[in-house]
Amino acid sequence: MTLEEVGGYRSVQHWLEAHGRHWNRSAEEGERRQKLDVIRRYCEFTGRDPDFLISNLLRDTPEGPRIRLKRRREEIAKIGEFELAAGEGDARRGRNDGNVVRSFFIHNGVALTAAPFR
Amino acid sequence: MEFKEVLGSRRSIRYYQPYRKVEREKIQMILEAARIASQAVNSNWAKAIVVNRDDISEDDREAIKTPTTTAQLDLAPVWIFWYGDMSAPRAGKTTLKQLVDVGALNPSHGWSHTYVDQVVWPQVLNPILENPTAIVAVTAVEAGLAICQAVLMAVDLGLGTSLSAFNGEKAKAVLNPPDNLLPLWLQLVGYSAESPDAGGARPRQPFEDLYFEGRYGVPFERDPEVVEMLEIEGMLQPKAPYPWRMDEVRALARMFGLPE
Repeated sequence: MTLEEVGGYRSVQHWLEAHGRHWNRSAEEGERRQKLDVIRRYCEFTGRDPDFLISNLLRDTPEGPRIRLKRRREEIAKIGEFELAAGEGDARRGRNDGNVVRSFFIHNGVALTAAPFR
Repeated sequence: MEFKEVLGSRRSIRYYQPYRKVEREKIQMILEAARIASQAVNSNWAKAIVVNRDDISEDDREAIKTPTTTAQLDLAPVWIFWYGDMSAPRAGKTTLKQLVDVGALNPSHGWSHTYVDQVVWPQVLNPILENPTAIVAVTAVEAGLAICQAVLMAVDLGLGTSLSAFNGEKAKAVLNPPDNLLPLWLQLVGYSAESPDAGGARPRQPFEDLYFEGRYGVPFERDPEVVEMLEIEGMLQPKAPYPWRMDEVRALARMFGLPE
């Protein structure tokens, strides 16, 4: 998948737009491409595309989408594995990539976070 | 801190200094504040279990969390699990008579031991105990009063604090409370890593939409001079967000390795 293809997914567009709105800033092109690259690598890591990553964790109900908690737990573990691999022994570097993925989920309505460094 | 300033300075703190222990005497003071709260029938509706975060295994810590309470639980060094005691009215038969004996409930208002035995217990307290909806509502309100005082004491002691949801079922397996205790709130306590005012006073509905005079729908008129006095005394504080708040949140997220 190319970065342009990653950026074309609805969930990715929604994430970037919602993230920019929340923090009142748009990512510069370099930062944007860096984020898209992390999502591309996570998609490769999991063998799934961005929209599927989100839809897989939500189910429609008359009251609106609900988070599938078991799948969410599995996804959190998967992000942890990705983070570990991406960091290559550097926890901060790995966390930065992991948090890009987490941010993607969060701004698409899937509440999750990371264990804080302490 | 002056009382009005304590009220105005309270914020739900979500970033704590994870490495800084809270003095044991301060935890005791928080519990002491809860114990003397106004309590119906002068019973003890609120029970608490204090836990040091690092004394719980990682697996148990994870199990107790809910989806949006994770990071603040990891950061706060002290957890106070608050429960409401649904058996509290049972003590009423004794505690109400104690109030008669110490001159709090008096014959001038119709109170006597006989009244407690013949009316209050069989016609008021026992029916509440036997009504599952009523007992939960009363327990939550009464315990909430005590929890509120615990929260305000933490603020007065210069601590950060907040009330978080927790998984009551999982916590039961770890903490072993009896069945009559209703899980209510997890009070997090620690030293704040964010600015204590956490970016300003939270948005609230307009005063006139909440409080009425004479009958519902007639707003209780808000006197601007009273508002000004409360601002001077620190109870009504500048509204959130301060211009730098989002930068602060971002810096905290980066320091702790949390997502944005």
